[in-house]
Amino acid sequence: MPERPRVYKTEGVILRRRNIGEADSIFTVFSANEGKFDAIARGVRKARSRMRGHLEPLTRSRMLLAQGRTLDVFTQVETINPYRAIRDDLDRSAVALYCAELIDRFTAVHDQDRPLYAHFLDVLDALETGAPASVTRYFEIHLLDRVGYELQLDACAVCAGRLAPEDTLLSASVGGFTCTGCRPGATGGRIVSLRAMKVLRHIRTATIEEFARLRVDDSLARELEAALGDIVRYVLEQEPRTRKFMDQVASLPPRANQQETGDVVELTPRP
Amino acid sequence: MPEGVAGTPEPIARLIEAFHKLPGIGPKSAQRLAYHVLRAPEQEVANLAVALTDVKQRITLCSTCLNITETNPCSYCQDGRRDRAIICVVEQPLDILALERSGGFRGVYHVLHGVLNPMDGVGPENLHIRELLTRLEDGEVKEVIMATNPSLEGEATAMYIQRLVSPLAVRVTRLARGLPSGADLEYTDDVTLSRALEGRQEL
Repeated sequence: MPERPRVYKTEGVILRRRNIGEADSIFTVFSANEGKFDAIARGVRKARSRMRGHLEPLTRSRMLLAQGRTLDVFTQVETINPYRAIRDDLDRSAVALYCAELIDRFTAVHDQDRPLYAHFLDVLDALETGAPASVTRYFEIHLLDRVGYELQLDACAVCAGRLAPEDTLLSASVGGFTCTGCRPGATGGRIVSLRAMKVLRHIRTATIEEFARLRVDDSLARELEAALGDIVRYVLEQEPRTRKFMDQVASLPPRANQQETGDVVELTPRP
Repeated sequence: MPEGVAGTPEPIARLIEAFHKLPGIGPKSAQRLAYHVLRAPEQEVANLAVALTDVKQRITLCSTCLNITETNPCSYCQDGRRDRAIICVVEQPLDILALERSGGFRGVYHVLHGVLNPMDGVGPENLHIRELLTRLEDGEVKEVIMATNPSLEGEATAMYIQRLVSPLAVRVTRLARGLPSGADLEYTDDVTLSRALEGRQEL
């Protein structure tokens, strides 16, 4: 790793906070040019701290840091986007926290990954501007692609043969869809409907705006969530902690005047 | 394994180890504190020992509001002059002291003992939310004031409880969020500033 300057600037999204001592906190940041890192903010819990509101989790901030002996220290922080609409909405907060946890778990410290950072911002921006919670599926597929767990969605992951247009096994252990012939060799996995298959393939090629316009009904949304949840759990070898919270929030009494968003977009089967 | 040089008498090593477990106390501070206790007058040390055991033996959680208390129910829940139709929900018992110092609240309290923090695995089941809902069941309570901190976790907790309470005929309010006295506009974050603008009042 190249030597970093004593004082450096970066921008990033705050993933999480841990309180230390009387008034300090350690923040985990996913940044554009430093990857994920931990840094300490001194006195940030005092009411008059100048950095306080700029270091809330899920805030995108510009920051100046000084290298410390063990942990780098925040010296100046300024908000770029507070993602207020996400923070003011419990459902969206839960989804964004889930995405933040996946970023935290799938990345290594000081491992720069600008495309992944851009992808994370795209998803936060989409959630901020009212995209449905199903953009999480878009986030998961592209995250898995970036960190080296690209699923084989276009052909059989075992024999590379053509997949019939029918309900198909999606198996994390073989890394994608599995044709009927190869099915006995795959352990675990879940049979996914043809509709869900099409949506998963659409995610690969669509922009996030295109995907956010896609209307996904409740049963399809649940199916996709479960299918990708399996993959994430398999790769992480554990359930993300925020998953349970998302489910708890989803089972709350609905908010007043909650409504579905998105237009109906027809998916054309691929030749 | 007790910290310290080999040959430290066992009672001292044990005391050092006990101090070391306290938050913010490193091995050196633990040693200094232990040797201070050793040199301190007998009576002072006896007082400390009694204070330590008393705090565990005599302090319990109020069965109504879950505040820490010596009497159950606690003094706030017993006080007949307080308005039982308004419950102020706080994260920690220390928050009650702060609100009491302000002198602006005459209702009763409810202590959650924490705040939702999904990233660290703290969910609704780890907080005293169910007890709050039980208190709302008899319909006596007209208003619940959410006085959690204005952080992401505090806001999420407030919204979570608001959604749970929404089917009941109880008004849920949130403490105003804005500029603290002595603040600097220049350094204030956008969310605080826009909330301060929204909550502006006639002079």
